[in-house]
Amino acid sequence: MKKKISAVLLASLILATGCSSKAPDTTASPTTATGGDKTETKAETKEVTVWAWDKNFNIAAMKLAQEAYAKDHPDVKINIVEYAQDDIIQKLNTGLNSGTTTGLPNVVLIEDYRAQSFLKAYPDSFQDLSSSIKASDFADYKIGPTSLNGKQYGVPFDSGVAGLYVRTDYLEQAGYKVDDMKNIDWQKFIEIGKAVKAKTGKDMLTQDPNDLGLIRMMIQSAGSWYLKSDGATPDLKDNAALKDAFQTYKELMNANIVKITSDWNAFVAGFNSGDVATVPTGNWITPSVKAKADQAGKWAVVPFPKLKNTSSSVNASNLGGSSWYVLNNPGKEAAADFLAKTLGSDVNLYQKLVTDIGVIGTLKAAASGDAYSKADDYFGGQKVISDFANWTTQIPKVNYGMHTYAIEDILKVEMQNYLKGTELDKVLNDAQSQAEAQVK
Amino acid sequence: MGAWTRRFTEQSLFNKMFMVTVLSILSVTVLTTWVTVQMSQKLFVQTFSITNSKIIEQIKNGLESFHYANVNIAINVAQSGAIKSFLTEPDADSLSNYKSYYSMVDQMKRIQSGNGTKNIGIAVLGANNRSYISDRTYWYSPMEELLHSSFTQNAWKQPGKIGYSLIGEDMGDTTEPRILAAKALNAPGEKEIYGTLYMMIKESDFRNVYASFTSAGNDVMIVDTTGTIVSSNRSELIGTKSVPLLESAEHITQQGLANQELKMFGKDVIALADYLPMFDFYIVNVIDKESTLGHMLNRKAIFLIVAAIAATALLLVYIFTRRVTKSMRTLVKKMSNVTKKNFHNYMAVGGSYETRELSNAFNYMLDELNDYLKRLVETQNEQRRAELAALQQQINPHFLYNTLASVNILVQRGSKEKATETIHALISLLQNTISNVKETISVKEELVNLKHYVFINQIRYGDGIKVDYFVPPDCMAAQVPKLILQPFMENAFFMLSTKRIAAISMS
Repeated sequence: MKKKISAVLLASLILATGCSSKAPDTTASPTTATGGDKTETKAETKEVTVWAWDKNFNIAAMKLAQEAYAKDHPDVKINIVEYAQDDIIQKLNTGLNSGTTTGLPNVVLIEDYRAQSFLKAYPDSFQDLSSSIKASDFADYKIGPTSLNGKQYGVPFDSGVAGLYVRTDYLEQAGYKVDDMKNIDWQKFIEIGKAVKAKTGKDMLTQDPNDLGLIRMMIQSAGSWYLKSDGATPDLKDNAALKDAFQTYKELMNANIVKITSDWNAFVAGFNSGDVATVPTGNWITPSVKAKADQAGKWAVVPFPKLKNTSSSVNASNLGGSSWYVLNNPGKEAAADFLAKTLGSDVNLYQKLVTDIGVIGTLKAAASGDAYSKADDYFGGQKVISDFANWTTQIPKVNYGMHTYAIEDILKVEMQNYLKGTELDKVLNDAQSQAEAQVK
Repeated sequence: MGAWTRRFTEQSLFNKMFMVTVLSILSVTVLTTWVTVQMSQKLFVQTFSITNSKIIEQIKNGLESFHYANVNIAINVAQSGAIKSFLTEPDADSLSNYKSYYSMVDQMKRIQSGNGTKNIGIAVLGANNRSYISDRTYWYSPMEELLHSSFTQNAWKQPGKIGYSLIGEDMGDTTEPRILAAKALNAPGEKEIYGTLYMMIKESDFRNVYASFTSAGNDVMIVDTTGTIVSSNRSELIGTKSVPLLESAEHITQQGLANQELKMFGKDVIALADYLPMFDFYIVNVIDKESTLGHMLNRKAIFLIVAAIAATALLLVYIFTRRVTKSMRTLVKKMSNVTKKNFHNYMAVGGSYETRELSNAFNYMLDELNDYLKRLVETQNEQRRAELAALQQQINPHFLYNTLASVNILVQRGSKEKATETIHALISLLQNTISNVKETISVKEELVNLKHYVFINQIRYGDGIKVDYFVPPDCMAAQVPKLILQPFMENAFFMLSTKRIAAISMS
């Protein structure tokens, strides 16, 4: 009996100690201040998580930055996570609205159109990078969207400068040369498009009814936007450029030279499979265009068409373009350092970005690099990058403000109505009143 | 070496006692630990099985709700005219296509937001080769790849069923593996298939359904009917084939076992499994015995504690047995010394009751011994003294001196005869007294001695002293102690020579 009791006692002792000694493996190492003005964490693996979309462009660029940084900073682990842009927006909004940054990354890519709405809505959630990078090192037009109240929050990334990618072989079949496509207006574009369709059976361009990027490019080429220059007041009803863009859009559809797509994959498939003769879009499509090696030499890039009836419209515009932001959460110092030393200043990295991926950055110093003035065989020896850089300087500056996509959602529906036959004035009036109701 | 063995043998009792205690303490601790560990392991396996089968139920529920979300999407997509016409109508002019595409996407977005399921990519692919994907991170490649895949063919073979499978990151040129659910689209009540619906979820999101239930050594794996691991919290296993895992899962579910203990991935594991009919997958919960039990039973801590207990016990035992046996050892030492040296090694009385008593007894014995010894020595001394006295009494040395002196005088005087006679008398006297070893002699002989003695004394003291002997003849043979009469004669002479007593009569 005694034995049993002592066995039970011993057993319980063993169990108790066995259970209580389950300490988690924490390998916390103390941080030591080294001489100088910087405190460095010693031998502690720092992790920086980056969220971005587009595997072939932003993610690929980030991977190059990661490689460049890893050489001198083996102690920092950069995790790159791919999400769809909509997912990133949703996750950011969810997280920042609940006032927590847990579960959010250290570095996030935000499209310039949306940047102001985030910076204004969550001013304390983003890290001021004014001390990490110099805003004046970057293209001027990127500073508006990426800064707020004089503080630089974003590391300006890619240029969204738009161009018109054209299939020279299709044009030739229709009796046109590349020069015929340069510095034209949309009406000329439609005229050529009809000829191309008649001769080759190919549509001139793809359009996704759920993405009015073309409208945005058209109005920016005229220095106009969905909002007035204060970035807050909807400017639809009496916006001449927008009216012109809408009419042009309808003309394109009526000309039956548009291949309709429903998603990005179909958009890319459209030009990759040779179904369309042109791609009017941002320069970031270059890698996707060049993905088809068998089409090398059949492409050229010409200036973006302008609006015929809007005098302020020029042959230059912008689509998209985004910048990197650091969230105000643990690890922000490492994240800011990572960005500052790579995409914030590394000219060589930008050469690599151009050469390997086709990313045109907005770091001024990088533009004088060799890679920027290289002729591209894929585009028949055209110096595409320097052309884009040249057009960049002509892009009319607009204030994207905070509500680009909210208003675009309204306009998508109204575009439907317009195409179905509703009067343009009524369409834009309706859009204006909806927008005013929404974006207050 | 010899000294050491002697020391060892001297301590043999202590050593034996100590060894026995050491062995018993060690065996008790080891056995108790072992039994406890075994019992707790059994208990642990049982409770683990019970809780984990409940957990598996919960995971199943989670997966079912995921499946129902997919079912809902499938139903909604199949009921949507806009989607059907998008997937079936031939290409028209830009404007009509624009409307058709717009309303299709609009419908898809409604369906998706209506379901509230985020993290899911929905794709449709029509017989007219039109396609739509809601989120291209799930599929970068052209949709033809999906169209010609086995998933599509399987879906078309079983139009009523949502077929699940794993697609690696290489399929669709993405960054991570996904779980793909494919279903052939046919309008309700109609047989004709007009497209395929694909629902993709990243494996990492799919994993979230059960990830919270897993821990190191407690893994969940979901395998399809070919043994391919489609999802697991151990991401390195995803996409690998494990036939034993599948066999074990089939065995457990067919036999209706609670769990199965087997070797897998080179480790001893407990496996629980269940079949997921909606997915045609098996869910297997693999518990690595070593690491989970290791978690539960911190072997190192147990070992250290047991060792510490044993060591303390042994130390105490060592001290106590040494203390108990110390008095015994000193007892032994002293007792063995007694035989060699002396009886004065008294014990310091101390230690336990027994040793105290022993020491007392020993000391008492030593007392007694010493007592006897003293008496013995005294008796011997006395004996020696008595013998010496007897000897001294037998021949008074003075008598000898005097006699010799008298002889000397006689020689000087020139009375040779007298000297010679005196020497003769002395010789026979000495012969009779000293050389004769007998204790007793006859009166006759005693008288001879006495007469010699008297003769010698007369030489010394002169002829003035006359000695007469009256001895009855019948006494002549009687035995008397030697020289018994001599002292009387000596006294008589002494008295006479000093006090001038004229005669001595002895009878």
